[in-house]
Amino acid sequence: MESDAFKDANQQQEIFEPFDCCVCLDLLYKPIVLSCGHISCFWCVHRSMSGLCESHCPICRHPYYHFPTICQMLHFLLLKIYPDAYKRREKQTLEEEEKMGDFSPQFDAYTGGSQVVFDQLGRSLGHAIKSPVSNSCNLESFKYMEKSGSATLKGNEGMTVYSEHTSSRTPEVIGIPDDGKKLHQNKHNRKQKILIADVTCSMCKQLLFHPVVLNCGHVYCETCIINISEVMLKCQVCQSAHPGGLPKVCLALDNFLEEQFPEEYAQRRNAIQLNQIKVKPEAETTSCSLRNGEGEKKTWPSDPRCKVHYGVGCDFCGMYPITGNRYKCLDCKEKIGFDLCGDCYKTRSKLQGRFNQQHTPEHRFGLVPLNLTARRQLNEQESPESFVIIADDPSMTDAEDDQSDSEITN
Amino acid sequence: MMISGGGGRSSWSSSTSSWVPTTSVSASGKRIQREMVELNNDPPPDSSAGPKGDNLYHWIATIIGTPGTPYQGGIFFLDIKFPSDYPFKPPQVVFKTRIYHCNVDPDGLVSMGILKDDWSPALTITKVLLAVRSILTNPDPYNAVVPGIAHLYLGDRAKHDDIAAEWTVRFAK
Repeated sequence: MESDAFKDANQQQEIFEPFDCCVCLDLLYKPIVLSCGHISCFWCVHRSMSGLCESHCPICRHPYYHFPTICQMLHFLLLKIYPDAYKRREKQTLEEEEKMGDFSPQFDAYTGGSQVVFDQLGRSLGHAIKSPVSNSCNLESFKYMEKSGSATLKGNEGMTVYSEHTSSRTPEVIGIPDDGKKLHQNKHNRKQKILIADVTCSMCKQLLFHPVVLNCGHVYCETCIINISEVMLKCQVCQSAHPGGLPKVCLALDNFLEEQFPEEYAQRRNAIQLNQIKVKPEAETTSCSLRNGEGEKKTWPSDPRCKVHYGVGCDFCGMYPITGNRYKCLDCKEKIGFDLCGDCYKTRSKLQGRFNQQHTPEHRFGLVPLNLTARRQLNEQESPESFVIIADDPSMTDAEDDQSDSEITN
Repeated sequence: MMISGGGGRSSWSSSTSSWVPTTSVSASGKRIQREMVELNNDPPPDSSAGPKGDNLYHWIATIIGTPGTPYQGGIFFLDIKFPSDYPFKPPQVVFKTRIYHCNVDPDGLVSMGILKDDWSPALTITKVLLAVRSILTNPDPYNAVVPGIAHLYLGDRAKHDDIAAEWTVRFAK
């Protein structure tokens, strides 16, 4: 066993710096950038989060309350840089997901067909058609972008391609997108050159300089995002609000860009520094963590009487646990369920969930009353030992659906 | 909706908390393997660690008492047990060699913030061993599990060090 383990581990012991996940110590897979700028895999972030109170970044312990959306730009960048290793991670993760019965967003499934189109044309079109005006958010915006990209190309066909892929993303038929993957593989088997087009700001469409990633997974230059003078920071692509203050620069990506494109990066720096001379005092505050902290605190009521739905997250904004009203989809069959927080329910967010749920706008919602025993349980779970017992409970996966109602009271 | 504390673990933790076959090594097993390789490539000073037998989830570690402390020259054996949902829950670290220390309970269980609530999934065994070595140099009497030792450490440091050194000679050499 030991020698096998060594062999296995040695095989995988490639260096992925700076794109290794601090939690699984492997190449990032479906990367999520936290507001402190640190990156982790989708499942690593999800499992690191606490369903009872605020979560903390594994590296810097910066508190956060929202499960961010996968950063698709980084996802496709990694796929380009480490095609083989990323494939291995994809396979691994899919195996684990099949065991668990919960799935991460499967945008890879349609990557093969339409993504290539999107990558090569959609993005360049992106400049021409301006950023698509969609009321959607998170992953959806990406699909909308894709739609608008391919729709411009082939009219309604783009839409059908999209919906076909959607249907193939049900967990039961997860194997179906294989053709797509093969296509995809051929595309990416050779190490591809990283282009500036792969790492552009959603706003200025130039090479990212000091990239920051919003809760919705869209990437901007730090200097672009501070120019948005709104009370609540909103993503300019998908219009979803970014909870908390300004996110911090994702240094791993920043360093990579500086190494990868030294000349262009220097140009960008010079250009931005020239601009900044005018607005220097404001620019200085951007990397300051103070604003960040203040913003986040507002979203987490310290009031003990506040309604907290322990262990339940909003599938739209990612708030976890949900505070305030909780709306549960009555029609979603996935055992992980589909829930929204009060704010997201009020707004337009009747979109697919973060775990590949097949949620549609036609689904009905029900207001879930707060479970009082869950709160009492919080105090008992404070000690790590009792928490372990609950977490190890084998019945867990069967009852996640009613997590806050029954499971926590176990 | 999301699962409290995460998913993966429950799929197999019920069947096995100790032995995990290599053919389908879970996420936690993979992570432990990676740590093992990392430890081999870059061993921490004055300490070592590795699986006990063929169980990835049960390790044995040694720490050599830092010179200049009452534990100087002692070789301390530790048992490290990984939970099935490692690294999302901290490992359990137990001194197998008896040690006179206010943060180590009579059963040898090490009590440290980072092994409890302050655990972070970004911590590795290398870092845990470093932390254990640092509490041997600087005990934390304000978060002690053995109050008597902590009182002595604060009140009569010389006597505390004498006893600790005596225990080291008696049990750790």
